Amino acid sequence: MTPLLDVRDLSIVLPREDRDLVALNNASFTLGRGEVLGLVGESGAGKSLTGAAIIDLLSPPLRRSAGRITLDGERIDGLTPAQMEKVRGRRIGFVFQDPLTSLNPVLTIGRHFTDTLLSHFDISFAEARRRAVHWIGRVGLSDPELRFDQYPHHLSGGMRQRIVIALALCCEPLMVIADEPTTALDVSVQAHVLKLLRDLHAETGVAVLLITHDLGVMAKMADRVAVLYAGRIVEIGPAARLLGAPHHPYTRGLLRATPSHKAAAGRLEPIPGSMPNLASIPSGCAFHPRCPRATEICRDRVPVLEGRHEGDAVACWHPVTEDRP
Amino acid sequence: MFRYASARIAQTVVVLLAIAFIGFLLVSNLGDPLASLLPPDATPQDRAALIATLHLDQPVAMRFLTFLKGLLVGDFGISYRSHEPVAALIWERLPATVELAFASLAITLLVGVPLGVYCGIRPRSALAKAVMFVSIAGVTLPTFVVGILLIAVFSVKLGLLPSFGRGQTVDLGFWKTGLLTASGWRALVLPAITLSLFQVTFVIRMIRTQLMEVGHSEFIRFARARGVEARRIWFVHALKNTLLPVITVLALQFGNIIAFSVVTENVFAWPGLGSLFLQSIQTADMPVISVYLIIIGAIFMMLNLLVELSYPLIDQRVLRERA
Amino acid sequence: MRSTSSRFLSSMLAAPAASVAGLIVLLLALAAFAAPPFLADPFNPMNASLLDAFTPPAFLPNGLPAFPLGTDDQGRDMLVAMAFGLRTSILIGVSSVAIGLLVGVSLGLLAGFAGGKIDALIMRIADVQLAYPALLLAMIIDGSVRSAFGALIDVRVSVAIVIVSIGFAFWVQYARTIRSSVLVERGQDYVAAARVTGRSGLAIALLHILPNVMAPVLVIATINLGIAIITEATLSFLGIGLPLTHASLGTLIRNGNNFLQSGEWWISVWPCALLVIFVVAVNVLGDHLRDVFNPKLRRRR
Repeated sequence: MTPLLDVRDLSIVLPREDRDLVALNNASFTLGRGEVLGLVGESGAGKSLTGAAIIDLLSPPLRRSAGRITLDGERIDGLTPAQMEKVRGRRIGFVFQDPLTSLNPVLTIGRHFTDTLLSHFDISFAEARRRAVHWIGRVGLSDPELRFDQYPHHLSGGMRQRIVIALALCCEPLMVIADEPTTALDVSVQAHVLKLLRDLHAETGVAVLLITHDLGVMAKMADRVAVLYAGRIVEIGPAARLLGAPHHPYTRGLLRATPSHKAAAGRLEPIPGSMPNLASIPSGCAFHPRCPRATEICRDRVPVLEGRHEGDAVACWHPVTEDRP
Repeated sequence: MFRYASARIAQTVVVLLAIAFIGFLLVSNLGDPLASLLPPDATPQDRAALIATLHLDQPVAMRFLTFLKGLLVGDFGISYRSHEPVAALIWERLPATVELAFASLAITLLVGVPLGVYCGIRPRSALAKAVMFVSIAGVTLPTFVVGILLIAVFSVKLGLLPSFGRGQTVDLGFWKTGLLTASGWRALVLPAITLSLFQVTFVIRMIRTQLMEVGHSEFIRFARARGVEARRIWFVHALKNTLLPVITVLALQFGNIIAFSVVTENVFAWPGLGSLFLQSIQTADMPVISVYLIIIGAIFMMLNLLVELSYPLIDQRVLRERA
Repeated sequence: MRSTSSRFLSSMLAAPAASVAGLIVLLLALAAFAAPPFLADPFNPMNASLLDAFTPPAFLPNGLPAFPLGTDDQGRDMLVAMAFGLRTSILIGVSSVAIGLLVGVSLGLLAGFAGGKIDALIMRIADVQLAYPALLLAMIIDGSVRSAFGALIDVRVSVAIVIVSIGFAFWVQYARTIRSSVLVERGQDYVAAARVTGRSGLAIALLHILPNVMAPVLVIATINLGIAIITEATLSFLGIGLPLTHASLGTLIRNGNNFLQSGEWWISVWPCALLVIFVVAVNVLGDHLRDVFNPKLRRRR
């Protein structure tokens, strides 16, 4: 069976006067129907850009330089702006990170829904309103009729993020891209919103591309995980395998630097150094200056992503093979 | 809301009183009503009668109260020049100015808003660049130069449009309108363009800047990510965010617009309030000048009040911050 | 108000534009001030030559080589009339800016040093006045004063009224700038040191603070010069400015406007063009000065 979303050799560049800086380099991955794929990495690794590139929403001058994107058997790269408008929201929902800035302060909550619904469906305003109220209630807000006429500033951050999630799902898309959906929230609220996402995923069967730097969130939600480092996918695999027995030294480093993860065993080990910026990505394996296992070849040649099959692979000259991370 | 509104209204009333007092000082201290209003062969009895009618024999405080009461009931005094009631003079000139002002406002909205939105959405397009370049003229050229150039080209050279007056007017009894005749419309074109040029430029540039700012905001990106139609995004979501600053700044430009309307009326011999004001200055007709200034001040204050009171309707957050 | 024009002018044309603008201002001012002493005053009725009246510019049929830009209704050579007019415009513009400077700097220093009620009063008046544009204020002041003097107005009074009206429309900006600078400088060590040596507040203000805050004020003054010249031209055009015997560019345009209908366009259009060119050049120059001396002033008035 063909996957719901198939991304092939996706590259994103930031044009500069002298040369194009590569923000994402030949990334390929798939997302199955009803599946949750996690994209994990430090900020600047290219994970949010990947999400934006799929729905053609990169902020200029960033642009997609190569790649094929297939959704439900149809190519969606290279659509006209008008055609893309029909994909966004209707077939691919998008959950934004910051609920405080994602909602228009001068429009009512209801207007956000009705404008979205009326853009995609040929329905009456009354019907749009009915669906909006339904979704406001479904994401757990009390008194949805009242909320419909309220403005974003009347709601708390957690409630607003629920609205953002409802907005992404209200046109019943095949998949949603959730870009750091809990990062901007208070810790106490994070768990609730995460549970809401999990419940909605279970109820609607919508596929999720979950973008986060938080391995804890990943462990709770994702079926499979792809790890990004400096614009390349360095490891991809089933969540249980990847988080339990990472093959890439970077993945292992991330796990060891994550609090409350079993692998940390009470002791956090930060990865030495920091991720390079786009203008100075090292030769060979971009991780080699920070890698304890690096050798000559790591400096000279870029490792390719290989493994047992495409869905479980690592890009490393010296992958970790021992069982314990 | 009620407390906020009543506080602002009280403030406005105080300033209006101050403006009225300044107007009163102008009339009572400048110019000589007796010399202006009495015929050369007036008898001492005539003189005494006029002093009584104008309340010149009363203390200043009383005279101010009489003056205020007159303002409220529409008794604005008597013109030194024409010896007619000021209220009648102003009422006669008002339709011309109001029609000119609304015509230029219509041009501003019909031309300025769409062009501003276009330039804000596509700032790099050739048309946007051309519009911005031409708009330099709108803020650089003095109003009277614009008027003269328009007359030179469209009236004198091409002979297309009249360059002075209102054309044929129709008297509706309470209002003399130029909008019911073809010649009235033709006469309106050049003055309205002249008066609107500054506002059009202003609105284009304000909306453009605001939209470019709003266009980068997360909520517009989110709206695009939800597939909301482009038309809805720009004309509902984004434009509504730019409304508040544009309306505010445009209302604050009222003073400029008044000044420019005086100039425009002068260039096109438009028989409105601005022309009346200039004639009154040249003939030291103090009652007319002071009433004109009071009316301008009152409209100015009302406009500001209206803008401030309408904030909460456009942007609910204002109420919250001020509560 | 109209100085916003210059902001994007300069950003569009960058630095070479400022040099060109400077050159234009210099050449025009030179022509305006160097020519009159050598030429007979065309506005003196003694020098009228009605036979030459309404001569079109030399490039039109019936034009005369002696009058490249034509003549006006009194037979005045437009070129000479414009040189005299520009000189008057510049003189009035500079004088009114100077009046505004004098009033604004004095009140700004007073507010900054005196503080308390005096400061509050001055600044409150400034706030109210700021709501009214310079052109409207100048019109109102000019109109009121003119009405008050009535028949007493002669040429000199008329000129003085225009200068003072425009000057008073401009003092607020200077006062605000000076006041805030004073408040900053007052805390500086050198002022404290001067105080300790027993200098009076006024002496400190004049000797120590003023030289330190003049740069931004002079930048504002340059920008205001363009607005002042336009304001004067507008007042004169409306017939509430200068009399014809002291013709400025505005008066020339007012006079020329009478003949626009009958086709003698050059009598009004040339002065219009000169006014616009000169003011745009001054604005570009002012913007350049602002960018160089004080980028922080780059905000809306």
